[in-house]
Amino acid sequence: MRYGELTALRNVTLGVPCGSSTAVLGANGAGKSTLLRAVVGLRRLSGGEILIGDSHPNHARPRLAYVPQRHSVDWDFPITVRGVVEQGRYPSLGPLRRLRKADVEQVDGAMEELGILDLAERQIRRLSGGQQQRVFLARAVAQGGDIFLLDEPFAGLDIFAVEELARDLRDWEAQGRTVLAAMHDLEIARRSFKRGILLATELIAEGPIGEVLEAPNIRRAYHARGDLPMDPVPRAAPEERRS
Amino acid sequence: MSLLELLVGPFHYEFMRRGLYSAVLLGMSGGLLGCVLVLRRLALMGDALSHSLLPGVAAAWLLFGTSTASLFIGGLIAGLLTALGSALLSRMTRIKEDAAFGSLFILFFAAGVALINKLPTQLNLSDFLFGNVLGVSAADVRLSLAVSGLTVAAFIAFHRSVLLETFDPIFHRATGGRGGCVHMGFLALTVLNLVAAMQTMGIVLALGLFLLPAVSAYLWCDRFISMLLLSAGIAVLGSLAGILLSFHAGLTSGPAIVLSLGAIFIASALFSPRHGVIGVLRDNRGPTAGE
Repeated sequence: MRYGELTALRNVTLGVPCGSSTAVLGANGAGKSTLLRAVVGLRRLSGGEILIGDSHPNHARPRLAYVPQRHSVDWDFPITVRGVVEQGRYPSLGPLRRLRKADVEQVDGAMEELGILDLAERQIRRLSGGQQQRVFLARAVAQGGDIFLLDEPFAGLDIFAVEELARDLRDWEAQGRTVLAAMHDLEIARRSFKRGILLATELIAEGPIGEVLEAPNIRRAYHARGDLPMDPVPRAAPEERRS
Repeated sequence: MSLLELLVGPFHYEFMRRGLYSAVLLGMSGGLLGCVLVLRRLALMGDALSHSLLPGVAAAWLLFGTSTASLFIGGLIAGLLTALGSALLSRMTRIKEDAAFGSLFILFFAAGVALINKLPTQLNLSDFLFGNVLGVSAADVRLSLAVSGLTVAAFIAFHRSVLLETFDPIFHRATGGRGGCVHMGFLALTVLNLVAAMQTMGIVLALGLFLLPAVSAYLWCDRFISMLLLSAGIAVLGSLAGILLSFHAGLTSGPAIVLSLGAIFIASALFSPRHGVIGVLRDNRGPTAGE
């Protein structure tokens, strides 16, 4: 994949190997979400290009599964866990076709994989934060793609849920899935991801996570924006700045 | 007078039947639209939007007479001007979106009221604002049928897009959904239904036919589809009850329908077992799941 110039993000040229897990890191407003959104076509590029394999993202859409930030939806919405996971099948069904047997199996399989099958008929408010995040992940799995883009999946989770999610993502990588996750927490990134991309409106570093998170890079990434240089966990971080 | 006579009697009159058809048809579509308004937190915006249609409708009436198409286009233009104008104002000045919208809609509403005073018609201002079932013509019923049919058909054909755009617009767009088209289509249908409902409900009260059934259904349902169906059902029932109330109590149709729907809403807010006030108070004594 290659990224060109973005308004919130410029001169970013990098590649993400298939089947790797990559943490997208940086301070607030560094362009982490922007990068992910550009890949799935939610942000138009002002220049440059993004390639998935050899194709334009629009043609590679069935391979992509995007997981928005958990707080971007209303959890009081009248919908069950199964209802949300079924949404993963909608793009391949079109407007009218009913869910076929294969679709239902795929939905069940995704819930099974994420360990939420027994919650299937529950309204989504009546879930813990970790369970809610797994509902989103199950929807992404149900889409049937192999490239997962996660926007702040660890935000607002308690420590147990963080560990569980980190383990799931490592399993995904072991299964050959490509994972790109925007996140704040450098420690989680260090422990659970093989590769890293460090952004501060432009590319600071990319590569194996250990090299990316070397002190000079971090100082550049966080100092450039006036943030505290070595606070790896900016808690209660405000919402990602829009481009 | 027997109960049957109470229920059926009013509909011996042609004008009562027409009022009933119109209210029930628009209740069905309004109940559907209301669900999206409520879930997307557009309830207040919808209310302001309905007020702002008035000058467009009145100007169209002055210029082109009472043809349905011209009233709709007039209303649509006024609604769009309000929406676009407030978006521009909030972007180009320091005024925030809600203040811009609030200022423009009240300005538009006043212009509408002023224009209506100049209309060469028997209808008076209160008919525009609060509805008058006596004024429902056969053509109005046909309009209601067309608008309601179009709305219901759109919800059936695009129910997945509507669900995705309402629940998680970011995911919808990320999976290639045409979120902008769904949203614009939804706004156009809302304006269409508001204009069509003007005759029986009045422009000030029309949104009650959309919102009250939807919030009532929201208190009972944990599935989107069941909320849509229940909301449409409540709107139909409330319209019927309201038309009867208006006949027997000698009330204007708009307020009578809103009062009937309001009774269903208050009952739901109190007694819905899971999401009503009493249910929540009861549950709060025990441990709750989730956040």
